Amino acid sequence: MDSYLTPYLPVLILLVIAGVMCTAISLLAGKLGPRRITSVKEGAFECGNPSTGDGHARHSVRFYLVALLFIVFDVESVFVYPWGAMLHDFQAQHLGWFAFGEMMSFMATLALGLVYVWRKGALNWSADVNS
Amino acid sequence: MNFNPNDLVGILPAVILTLGGCALMTTEVFLRKDGPDRRYQPFLAAVFGLIALYVSLSQLGDPSATLFAGAAVADGIGRSISAVVSGTLVLSVLLAAGYLETLSASRGEFYALALFSAAGMCLLSQATDLIVVFIALEVMSLAVYSLTAWLRKGTKPAEAAFKYFVLGSFASAIFLYGAALAFGAAGSTRIADLALAVRNANAGSSMLVYAAGALLTVGFAFKVAAFPFHMWVPDVYDGAPAPVTGFMAAGVKAAAFATLARILIGGFGDVGASMGPHGWQSLIVLLAGATMLVGNVLAVPQRSVKRMLAYSSIAHAGYLLVSIAAMAGSEPRQDAVFGLVFYLASYAATVIGAFGIVALIERKLAPTGASDDLTTWGGLAQKHPLLAAAMSLFMLSLAGVPPTAGFMGKLGIFRAAIEAGLVPLAIFGVLTSAAGLYYYLRVVVYIYMVPSTKPEPVVGGRMLTAGVALAACAVLVIWMGVQPGAFATLTQSSLAGFGK
Amino acid sequence: MAETILFYIFAIGVLFAGAQVVLRRNPVHGALSLVACFFFLAGTYVLLAAHLIAILQIMVYAGAVMVLFVFVIMLLNLKDEELGTPRRTIWKGIGLVSVVGATGAVAWRGLGSAYDSVLAHGAATQLTDMAKHTLPGAPFGSLKAVAHAVYLNSVLPFELTSLLLLVAVVGAVVVAKGKI
Repeated sequence: MDSYLTPYLPVLILLVIAGVMCTAISLLAGKLGPRRITSVKEGAFECGNPSTGDGHARHSVRFYLVALLFIVFDVESVFVYPWGAMLHDFQAQHLGWFAFGEMMSFMATLALGLVYVWRKGALNWSADVNS
Repeated sequence: MNFNPNDLVGILPAVILTLGGCALMTTEVFLRKDGPDRRYQPFLAAVFGLIALYVSLSQLGDPSATLFAGAAVADGIGRSISAVVSGTLVLSVLLAAGYLETLSASRGEFYALALFSAAGMCLLSQATDLIVVFIALEVMSLAVYSLTAWLRKGTKPAEAAFKYFVLGSFASAIFLYGAALAFGAAGSTRIADLALAVRNANAGSSMLVYAAGALLTVGFAFKVAAFPFHMWVPDVYDGAPAPVTGFMAAGVKAAAFATLARILIGGFGDVGASMGPHGWQSLIVLLAGATMLVGNVLAVPQRSVKRMLAYSSIAHAGYLLVSIAAMAGSEPRQDAVFGLVFYLASYAATVIGAFGIVALIERKLAPTGASDDLTTWGGLAQKHPLLAAAMSLFMLSLAGVPPTAGFMGKLGIFRAAIEAGLVPLAIFGVLTSAAGLYYYLRVVVYIYMVPSTKPEPVVGGRMLTAGVALAACAVLVIWMGVQPGAFATLTQSSLAGFGK
Repeated sequence: MAETILFYIFAIGVLFAGAQVVLRRNPVHGALSLVACFFFLAGTYVLLAAHLIAILQIMVYAGAVMVLFVFVIMLLNLKDEELGTPRRTIWKGIGLVSVVGATGAVAWRGLGSAYDSVLAHGAATQLTDMAKHTLPGAPFGSLKAVAHAVYLNSVLPFELTSLLLLVAVVGAVVVAKGKI
């Protein structure tokens, strides 16, 4: 079998094994394990107070801002990764400085963004809650 | 490698605007005094805008140059749209200065975002590669979405920004689908290669090309607010701060129309007027007619001047589409391209002036959350005769009454349509714009005939910078109206963009 | 043959998970369906020999973008009563028909007729060939080929992307941060 997918054969085998194992373990545990639920088992035992209120609390908008900034810089890292892997090849083509300058300009723009976010206190978790 | 340091000269206006935005951000985080004193920021932004304007005007006569191995181009239409965008930016920033100060919302990010968005507009008008078009479109749009949400108090700005963001992203996704299909047909994202694919389309690939063109057009029809993709316009224009609305109406329209023309003419120009499935002229004619009709009809019942101007911007998108339809006809395209660029410039000067005066009224109304109903305009003539005269001038120009810029713009577009053989469309356009006279003149009637109900002044806050910007708009409107030849260099050189 | 079977598995998975995103009332279920959709899409990219894009799809979309989605869902934390009862209106039907119709028309008339020849020659064989012969030492879809395309052939879009990300940072702070 000579296909461009041949290198993925181990991945497929791994996926199959993982899938079979997960399903089998959870099914078997549910079938074979004894299940006797009592009120003592359900309660919190020596691990703090009985829970009150709803488990679903509203999260602060700050999480959202942090997640958004994380994505932006995550995308930046995605662009840096192939560049880092290939810089040696670019140098062999006498394009090393070009590629270096190109990436520095890219990163300088985003560094400005980082400085901005930092100075504005958007990364400041202990700022007052309503900010 | 497709980079040559000289390429940066071709996109110099965008580079200057980007550097300006970065400079504004730096001032915001480092050079800010404690306290509200940020009065230098709008002037810094205006200086960068003026430099970009000067550069794009000084490059107007230069020969066309391909940049970045065909990803962008420095040609007449790109340079004239860059000039229009830079001018729009300068005027909007000056109008925003007093507005934001009065509402105590003045911060450097506002000007930085405006500069970035203008940089996106300049690059959009120069892009000849669908990937560059997409990224420049997103730079422009993201910045404008954020500016729309600038005044975060109350529900109106939030609603406006959210609607604009969701529908704008939807439009971008449709554009992206079209770009993907175009890549499938041409094997490249360059518009020039797309033209080759259109020329060589066989029975198998022709439908692919056709679908790509339709989706790309729909994406831009959203951005320029053509019927039936105009639903977001009234709420967004109404909810955004008035100086931003003016910037949006003038700048986004200019860049989006230039790019739409570039894609349709550069990519699909060969088949514009053909009868087959590729003949997109009839489609644009339908869009133009419906947009002119819907915009003008829906503007009539509006009581708020800002909402009325929003609907009127839909109508103006219709007039601009007429010039695109006129370009579809085979050579020569000179008159239609000329008409498009001149109309964009004249509309920009007029609409920024109109929204600038709305901004003055809004300064007073924004804290109370009231809308600028026609009755609030009553008595403007007694208290501020100069403002009343300027507003009347802008209304007349929007209506297309001589001797204003709007008249010359409409004249150019309808003449091009008639020369391209679209006589019924031109007649329809003249009729709808005559109907538009009613709601434009109603504003003038309220300004002059209806006495003010309240003793206090109609507008609030410091007036100096806004006054300078409004005076510049008024001068431009009259100048373009009485001496359109003076702007011939601006528009003539744009012909180089489409060759032949 | 294996490619064809895998393609149908992934394609049906993408469609099913995508439909779940729209149809589920509970937003958390919708978000999890979106994760599934991203994974199936990554599988499709592997079938297209775009290995790097496949792994980035999982890293960026299934990883980072989903975090954002889940945060938004937890931020809103809609209760069942706030979600309201599902309504079936005529407009939803019209919307469904027009979306399916438009996409179907593009796929059938546009893509179908354009790629008849490709399918006739066997897409999998062609991709295998492309993987061998694109650039010397840089097969199609590899890190090398992608880096070549991004850093050397698309200088302007690459630099413009940094501007886009900068605008996104500023916009996010301006819109989401209370006191600036």
